[in-house]
Amino acid sequence: MPDPLLSVEDLTVEYGGAVRALRGVSLSVEAGSVVAVLGSNGAGKTTLLRAVSQSLGSVGGRVTAGRVRFDGRDLARHDASAAVRAGLVQVPEGRRIFRDLTVEENLRAGGYTVRDARARRAATERVFRLFPILAERRHQRGGLLSGGQQQMLAMGRALMTSPKLLLLDEPSLGLAPQLVEQIGDIIEQIHAQGTSVLLIEQNAAMGLRVADRAYVLEVGVVSTRGSSAELAATDEIRDRYLGVAAPDTDHVVQDAPPAAAAHLQRSTPARAQELRVEDLTVRFGGITALSGVSFTVGAGTVHALIGPNGAGKSTCINVLGGAYRATSGTVHYGDAAVTSLPAHRIADLGVARTFQNISLSLEASVEDNLLVGRHRVMRTRTSAQALRLPRARREERAERAAVRRIADLLGIAPLLDRAVHTLSYGDRKRVEMGRALASEPTLLLLDEPVAGMTHGESAVMADAIRAVQRELGLSVLLVEHDMPFVMGLAERVTVLDFGKRIAEGTPREVQRDPEVLRAYLGTAAA
Amino acid sequence: MPEIRRRLPVVAAALLAAALPFLLDDFWLQTGLFTMAAVVGAIGLTLLVGVAGQLSLGHASFAALGAYTYAWAVGETDGRAAGIGLPPVLGLVLAGVVAAVAGALFSPISGRLRGIYLGLATIGLVFLARHLMVNLQGATGGFVGRSVEPFSVPGFSFSNNDPDYLAVAGVQFEGLHRLWYLFLGVVLLAAWLGRNVKASRTGRALANVRDSETAAASTGIHVARAKATAFVISSAYAGVAGALMALAYGRIAPDLFGLQLSIDFLVMIVLGGLGSIAGAAAGAAFVVILPLVLTQYSSDLPFLASPGSGGLDAATLARLLYGAAIVAVLLFLRGGLAGAAGRLRRRRALPDPDDPPPAPPPPAGTGASPSAPHPDVPTRSKETSS
Amino acid sequence: MSYFLTQLANGLSYGLILGLIAVGFVIVFTSTGVLNFAHGSVLLTGAYLVAVLHDPIGFWAAVVVGIAGAALLGVLINAVLVRNLAEANPGTAAILMLGVDILLLTELTRRIGNRVLPIGAPWGADVVTLGGVTLPTSRAVAAGLAVLVFGLLWFLFARTGFGVAMRAAAADGDTASLMGIRLSRTGAAGWALAGALAAIAGIFLASFPAPGVAPALAISAFAAIPAWVLGGFDSVVGAIVGGLIIGVVTALAVGYETQLHFLGRGLGEVVPYAVMILVLLVRPSGLFGREEAVRA
Repeated sequence: MPDPLLSVEDLTVEYGGAVRALRGVSLSVEAGSVVAVLGSNGAGKTTLLRAVSQSLGSVGGRVTAGRVRFDGRDLARHDASAAVRAGLVQVPEGRRIFRDLTVEENLRAGGYTVRDARARRAATERVFRLFPILAERRHQRGGLLSGGQQQMLAMGRALMTSPKLLLLDEPSLGLAPQLVEQIGDIIEQIHAQGTSVLLIEQNAAMGLRVADRAYVLEVGVVSTRGSSAELAATDEIRDRYLGVAAPDTDHVVQDAPPAAAAHLQRSTPARAQELRVEDLTVRFGGITALSGVSFTVGAGTVHALIGPNGAGKSTCINVLGGAYRATSGTVHYGDAAVTSLPAHRIADLGVARTFQNISLSLEASVEDNLLVGRHRVMRTRTSAQALRLPRARREERAERAAVRRIADLLGIAPLLDRAVHTLSYGDRKRVEMGRALASEPTLLLLDEPVAGMTHGESAVMADAIRAVQRELGLSVLLVEHDMPFVMGLAERVTVLDFGKRIAEGTPREVQRDPEVLRAYLGTAAA
Repeated sequence: MPEIRRRLPVVAAALLAAALPFLLDDFWLQTGLFTMAAVVGAIGLTLLVGVAGQLSLGHASFAALGAYTYAWAVGETDGRAAGIGLPPVLGLVLAGVVAAVAGALFSPISGRLRGIYLGLATIGLVFLARHLMVNLQGATGGFVGRSVEPFSVPGFSFSNNDPDYLAVAGVQFEGLHRLWYLFLGVVLLAAWLGRNVKASRTGRALANVRDSETAAASTGIHVARAKATAFVISSAYAGVAGALMALAYGRIAPDLFGLQLSIDFLVMIVLGGLGSIAGAAAGAAFVVILPLVLTQYSSDLPFLASPGSGGLDAATLARLLYGAAIVAVLLFLRGGLAGAAGRLRRRRALPDPDDPPPAPPPPAGTGASPSAPHPDVPTRSKETSS
Repeated sequence: MSYFLTQLANGLSYGLILGLIAVGFVIVFTSTGVLNFAHGSVLLTGAYLVAVLHDPIGFWAAVVVGIAGAALLGVLINAVLVRNLAEANPGTAAILMLGVDILLLTELTRRIGNRVLPIGAPWGADVVTLGGVTLPTSRAVAAGLAVLVFGLLWFLFARTGFGVAMRAAAADGDTASLMGIRLSRTGAAGWALAGALAAIAGIFLASFPAPGVAPALAISAFAAIPAWVLGGFDSVVGAIVGGLIIGVVTALAVGYETQLHFLGRGLGEVVPYAVMILVLLVRPSGLFGREEAVRA
């Protein structure tokens, strides 16, 4: 049996010496095959692709053990450019086309390593045959294309070098169902023309449809592997992505936080109010991220926003938090029109949020990061603090105590003096949650609070969320992919797909909704 | 106990600074005054650049404003330049206040631009200030500048007279000695206030704005106001520093406050380590003392040529060392002098000689790529000038 | 009227020279993220080489050496210093360039001393007159050459594979490197181009209004910073337009200084920066820049 085209052996990758994104991952891609890597956000899928394409450096990652062999060569010590020249090209997640360059120029940039003008012309012709729409729009700027066309351009750009192995990072991200189908067909065509494909997908249906073999990556480790047919037949995929099995609300709780011991008090008697999202539409250039979405989060309830990657969930959170502007539609929190306020005024309404990609001050201590959350609660002016007047010192002491209570609740009290950059990924998630809680919100927006956490860690997080929610009477709106987590926590669920609301109801109702099954598992599964 | 150990170096440095006038000659006293004036400005700039992540090359213009405000407020109107004859203490305060107000007027730009973009915009302030200094002759004396009234409080002047003779422990206290303590007091106050601001709610908010404006806004921080606040604070410091410079020189002219002064301030805090107040002081000492000392002692250094001969004269050597220090620190000394000192302390404290892990990457391990999913949405990337 | 037209022509030709310098700022910034405060001393180095060499090897050969020398200097600064920063970010890189500028300028000042080195250009101090508009020949040549250079730049960036790769790298370096584009090469090319453009500008600035090469020439690169900022930080077209605006405004301010005396003496020095600040008050990202670039 010949050597595989690509073999990854015992690969371990770290970021900044603190966060371990991959642990001993092995996989192989035989020449002429299509391999899919499935897994939720934070599982390390993109890290794996970057390690293969030798582009970890630009995001601060480093291979600390194991190796990557491609076409009989060890790729370590080579840069991304050498990998491309060896016949391995990556299509990055989110397409990342060059927006100010025309379609033709995008392709030209993709074919940069092809020295022979005739070969370059032939490659362009091949790309245009594969994607006729690109030929039509060859003189248009990339930024004006629709989402599906941008995905085609991104793939066409990578095909310009006629690679032996194409790495695709979530090609279905944010595309409408018929487009996903189309992209799937195109992958099959590319494969038929002799290019091997390593594909990363969250859309399991799409991944398993086009792949011969698949691996499931969970928090940096390969948890399952096998032929696509085998994996499709197991319940595991179904469970993981939809939590179809009875929601397991009684998790085995490890390291349960001493929730009862910590009592959070409000310094103001603010009460949770109703959040009404009405007909919300958000467009970016040619892409509609949300279209006419409406839902209501009742005061003091836990509401989940779910849907495949690119469904518009994070966009929605970003509009609610004021980071993005709505194109049309309104959001009201109580009587306040959130959509017309800047982010810091929204925070003043009692809305706090966390970020999908964690946004903490890395050099600062955990305590200081949590104290930033108290910004809105603290009252002394800069001048009083500069002079360390007694009331400023009193307030500072009181706030440190308040922050400690929050840290106790989340189980991060022992870390208060540590700089954030020395913490693990899960701990960082907890710190960010703590910062949000520190601002005494009445509405908590959580963008993937347990992405990248192990099952045990996410159970601890669920308990913490439940505890603060009950104790403080918060409303919680959470976006999550971990279905058992969502089903065990949320009272109501809104399902988004391709920027539209496709279902809403109790977790149980939503799980049985045929539309939802189709969105997650593809038409075949419904 | 650790608290005492932490404060020990600061106390020791302050005591040493208080004892120095008994030991130094006039050249060194004068040098010390220049240094202390620079330290005040550098502390203000490190709060802006190091803590809030906003670059400024306009610091010299606020120093100029402070210097001329002091000279005008304290001076008496004579044939050459106007003045209103306020008490010097008031003049010193006014210097800070006027500079702060000018900084506040720049808010529409300082609150909206970030990082190096602000740095470029502030270059304009230096040229604007120079134009005003040259053309508002009534108050500034134009090209040739104006003289500065010495500092005094009722019954005591910080010059060679009133009282005409003052001696402590057998050392005659002349104007330079007296000014030394005034300056030392201002420096300690500036450092104390700066440290408090850095560790306060405002300081944390500024650092958060530097690290992520989106996250800062989501915790209720008014980002534009925070950036403008940092600029105002730093302007006030520059104004006071300018007034001290005016006192140390005794005479001010537009050429003192050119772009080079802005660059000098920036270099001080970079050499010292951005965001560090002790570092700012150390950087200021290096930048101020190096050229003065080389020029003063150039006759003792055999390899130096005389100025204008085309050989390596003292001023040229000082400039070369100055440039080389900047390059060397940025290439080899992460975090400047303060960063190196911190590593040294940790190394002594821990048996493990390894450096702490380097500044970590963008949020790692997530499946999502580090860039915004939609490129035409403002990328809220961490771009700072720290 | 002809006085006005003369001032206008003077301003436009000066603006084109500023445009050459400002485009260099843009290219270095977009290709390597560096705010190049040493641009002025690179410019001075190019002009200095021409001034020293025009006698032994002839003016045109000296021009070639001067341009190549400035380009090489830029490439070296990038390769040896910028790429080895302990903490690479736009702020530290900008301050590093301040240090480099001090080193280069100090050494060049030592070499030049108090002299003003003639540049040896064949057009000397001649003037051309056309329809009542009088312009120094140096400026007329500069304007023509600048337009030619901008045309070549357009060809490079729009028509050649490497130029497209440079634009791709400037737009999204990470993705460009996934396409096999080596950022070290596009960066080096950016520095080389900027150095060459600065040298060309330096040669013309040293023939008029200055009578030759003196250390103060390095300051003239600073005059292009308002042009760059005005244009919007990352736009080549913006830099050229910004240069023209600043050039014309400066020329008119100087030409009509007596009528504008209420604004003070030395108006020419401050007007570019005043225009820059006024524009930033209205459009913080400049005329051609993207708002998100500067405002996070």
